[in-house]
Amino acid sequence: MKSDRSLVGWLAAPAVFYLTIVYALPLTWLLARSMMGPEGFSLVLFEEFLGDPFSWRVIGNTLRIAGMVTILCLLIGYPVAFALARARGVVQVVLLAAIILPLSIGVVVKAFAWQIVLRRDGVVSQFLVGIGVWSEPQRLLFTEIGLVVGAANVFLPFMILPIYSVVKLIDPRLMEAGATLGVSPVSRFFRILFPLTLPGIVSGLAFVFSLAVSMFVIPSLLIGDRFQTLATLTGRSFLLMRNEALGSVTATVLLVLAVAIVLISSLLARRVGRFA
Amino acid sequence: MIEPFLEVRNARKNFGPTTVLDGVTLGVTRGEFVSLLGPSGCGKTTLLRIIAGLTGADVGDVRLDEQDITTLPPHKRDVGVVFQNYALFPHLSVMENIAFGLKGRVAKDEATRIAARFLDLVHMRDFAERSVRALSGGQQQRVAVARALAVAPKLLLLDEPFSALDRKLRETMQIELKRLLRELGTTAIFVTHDQDEALVMSDRIAVMNQGRIEQLDTPQTLYHAPATSFALQFVGLSTRISGQVIGHQDGNLILIETRHGVVCAPGNFARGSQVIIGIRPERISFGMLDGQNSIAPQLTDIVFQGARVQVHFASAEDEPIILESSARLPTNLASGEAVSISWAPEDTLVFPRDVSA
Repeated sequence: MKSDRSLVGWLAAPAVFYLTIVYALPLTWLLARSMMGPEGFSLVLFEEFLGDPFSWRVIGNTLRIAGMVTILCLLIGYPVAFALARARGVVQVVLLAAIILPLSIGVVVKAFAWQIVLRRDGVVSQFLVGIGVWSEPQRLLFTEIGLVVGAANVFLPFMILPIYSVVKLIDPRLMEAGATLGVSPVSRFFRILFPLTLPGIVSGLAFVFSLAVSMFVIPSLLIGDRFQTLATLTGRSFLLMRNEALGSVTATVLLVLAVAIVLISSLLARRVGRFA
Repeated sequence: MIEPFLEVRNARKNFGPTTVLDGVTLGVTRGEFVSLLGPSGCGKTTLLRIIAGLTGADVGDVRLDEQDITTLPPHKRDVGVVFQNYALFPHLSVMENIAFGLKGRVAKDEATRIAARFLDLVHMRDFAERSVRALSGGQQQRVAVARALAVAPKLLLLDEPFSALDRKLRETMQIELKRLLRELGTTAIFVTHDQDEALVMSDRIAVMNQGRIEQLDTPQTLYHAPATSFALQFVGLSTRISGQVIGHQDGNLILIETRHGVVCAPGNFARGSQVIIGIRPERISFGMLDGQNSIAPQLTDIVFQGARVQVHFASAEDEPIILESSARLPTNLASGEAVSISWAPEDTLVFPRDVSA
């Protein structure tokens, strides 16, 4: 056992070394920078930031967009994960490829593609006018809806795959057993499938939310500078405004929010799915 | 005529080009325990799933308790199922599993009371709050039975529920289940490929082969008077020898020429018919007796089984001739020697032989 443990240590060593250099040290610097006042440690930067109504609008934007993207991904991804898990043969291969291959296309490319799709003369606008939903072409680009739809497209695989991996392990006979016990299809879903897929849902939510809350390129291209999130504000602070103080504060706030939400949701899920 | 409690009429099912059920008709009386016995792929599980409503039949209907349930979805049928792998809900405790079907059907106190009663009936009271994942196979099986019975289904279906258990435990569970079902007066259909299990547990057994029921009878009738050579072969040991009818004798007896000699048997076959004769091993004894069928095949093996001894003889067929005896064997037996054995004509079962096969 002892040799096993030391082996574990050595196996993890490269990752620990790498992450220390490129991740932990800069992060520590960032956190330290946000708590640095004129005379040593101080939370004055946070006070200033949180005292500004603009900051709260940015925090609101960040959480709202990330929340909507996550929920949209869940609504679309949950049934797809079932389809993927229950499909067989060629259908499954094609589905899996359709979900995984887009990951190999860069985010920038995808965002530009969405720019074209969401334009006033883009496909969506033309389609909605064509079927009579809109009376005249409208621009979805540089709107919140456009941003949410585009971001959901990019992050969808991160919702589907964890749910799929859980659904795949669920014995289809559990639903049949529920049926033979006289339980209706809707109740069966909420009493059997939903609790059993909860671990997958939580992973998916955590993945997509942490990606969406910190996305930078997609909002830059799909909604522009007039709409700021914590991530875009952080980027602007460091890259454009050269304001390290503001950047380190927004980055820290973002980090705290994301970690808190992911942790709380995991804890909640653990309580619901007691034996799962 | 009284309508059977459960009636399946002319059920047919194809999966693609494969015919799984080829017109099955089955009637089960209230309180009866009927087994569907057959090799894998004979359609027994499909028939079970059609009765439960988990699979739809292409043709045919199902009636339960004077009601046509052919098109009812499974949750409205009042038919409980114990699945082969038990299909317990892994996210729920033992108690919650048993109470699963009661929730929303009876008041909460009542559900708890009923679940507790079934927990007792299957001797699982001490495990109420455990996760079902922490249970052994036998315990899981008990929970699955309790869960299915707790909602008081009109009919209980069991799909090879003992196949994952070791032999000793299986025998205990068989007796336990039989007793429980008798106490509750539950009508049950039991799917198995294990003939011993079927013989021990059933009031009647339906022997299935290639999507059809070949015979539906009591275990005794099935064993002593199998209707087809398949039923003979599948239930209990038997020796089978092929032959041809060469003549008739008084008292409805026919003479059959086999590669071991001419054999006399009761039956109604025309001269020249190709037949298979079957003899149960315990009906064969040593020695040559007047008025009996006697042959003298070569002894190949003596298999000691404790209470009984099996003696194998070389046969012209694929399988050996088997004699089974609980008496002391003659002392001068040696393998390789021809030994006289005999059996009564009335113990000779005769079936038509499909020559083309």
